[in-house]
Amino acid sequence: MSETCVEITGLKKSFGPLEVLKNIDLTVSRGDVVCIIGPSGSGKSTLLRCVNLLEDPSGGKIVVNGTELTDPDVDIDAARTKIGMVFQSFNLFSHLNVLANLTVAQRKVLKRPEEEAKRVALHNLERVGLSEKAYSMPAQLSGGQQQRVAIARALSMNPEVMLFDEPTSALDPELVGDVLGVMRQLADEGMTMLVVTHEMQFAREVADKVIFMDGGYIVEEGPAADVIGNPQEPRTQEFLARVLDPTHHGPSDLV
Amino acid sequence: MAMSKRKRAEYIRYAQYGVLIVVVLLVAFLADWGQIRRAFFNTDIAASMFPNVITVALKNTIIYTALGFGFGLALGLVLALMKLSSVAPYRWIATVYIEFFRGVPALLVFIGIYYGVPIAFQVQFPPLTTVMLALGGVGAAYMAETIRAGIQAVPKGQVEAARSLGMSQGRAMITVVIPQAFRIILPPLTNELILLTKDSSLIYILGLFREQYELTKFGRETLSRSPSLTPILIAGLCYLIITLPLGYLSRYLERRGTTGSRKKVSA
Repeated sequence: MSETCVEITGLKKSFGPLEVLKNIDLTVSRGDVVCIIGPSGSGKSTLLRCVNLLEDPSGGKIVVNGTELTDPDVDIDAARTKIGMVFQSFNLFSHLNVLANLTVAQRKVLKRPEEEAKRVALHNLERVGLSEKAYSMPAQLSGGQQQRVAIARALSMNPEVMLFDEPTSALDPELVGDVLGVMRQLADEGMTMLVVTHEMQFAREVADKVIFMDGGYIVEEGPAADVIGNPQEPRTQEFLARVLDPTHHGPSDLV
Repeated sequence: MAMSKRKRAEYIRYAQYGVLIVVVLLVAFLADWGQIRRAFFNTDIAASMFPNVITVALKNTIIYTALGFGFGLALGLVLALMKLSSVAPYRWIATVYIEFFRGVPALLVFIGIYYGVPIAFQVQFPPLTTVMLALGGVGAAYMAETIRAGIQAVPKGQVEAARSLGMSQGRAMITVVIPQAFRIILPPLTNELILLTKDSSLIYILGLFREQYELTKFGRETLSRSPSLTPILIAGLCYLIITLPLGYLSRYLERRGTTGSRKKVSA
């Protein structure tokens, strides 16, 4: 069970003079759910976006599913088909209906026949509980529904690992549960997941490992019960105190 | 003066209605309607223009405009992609083309293509090809900028989503960005079609045969054998047959675009 799915060593990323990631080492085993938490600007989204090379690392090595993405000769498009990505702002293709959103990449990238692509799409829509929305346009759906469609779209490529970049941050509070429910179900089915999130409850209950990032470094990592339940580093303690009990603290000097 | 502001605004409005009515009545009584009618609307001349004004002239205007628009759209898309290219010479070429053909009167371009190209390149195009190159070449310069703006208006997240599903840069452009860009620019593109319809009147310079006349040339040709301006009025009204519906279409698309409501599209 401890087969490695994602292995990151010495990852660095700078935007101009701004160093966002400073020497990150991270290993994710197959089937694990890793939640990345931390204050805004800590580099957690950038780290996630490096895992499918949406951001080009300035240094270090990233290996996903046995393929080194940082190899200049890598076929990045082929590698990305095995890495599902879910965005904060859903990013459904607004000119295509739900079914076409789920089939377009299967058809154009994986070259699946239309029938098969449709079957896979409908199966994944069922997984996220939106079978009846197959012919709706994205604009006709609520935020929570759009995000579940986005998850189904990523799943339709049969990825080996799923990346979630603050998947519930753009949602109305009452819709967050639907999306987290789908993600929990996915975790229970054994999907390898990297999740950048502010949902501490989700991290605590679902994550096999929690990573706290701050200032471009991994400050603390370990089982959820340790990192969230009993943090050792002062930065982690302060961050969690603010997130878990926001009204009882003064203005922050963090970040 | 104890008049409230609202009251005063009301009186000023009445006064404007009054002035308008007086002006309209004066024009109506003082104008020599018979003379105006002789100058602009001679029913016999008007009748003599049918059916050719529709079956030849209007048809040709539509054909020329459609050819020019089709070619212009294709060339405009290429220019827009060149302008957004990471290859610098592509950007320079596109910029020079766009600035030149946008800044020079269409009539001069048509003369250049009609008289200059056959001499310079030792080729003789059929008339329809010349029309297509001339109208499309000018239209492309305008449409390129519109298309470029449309492509840039597609949210960055759309490309990121496409790329993260394994699409290449080009595949994402064709499958995701360009279709959405065209939805965004449909209203301004419709306006450019209207402008091109009117620009098609300039191809009289290409010295067409009688059966190739478009509306303006047809109107002017009839005018030369007519004691009244009726042919010009008829030709003008025929342009409205094309441009008015396009104008409504443009406004409809714009409204639909801003409210964001879209009908179902089949997979």
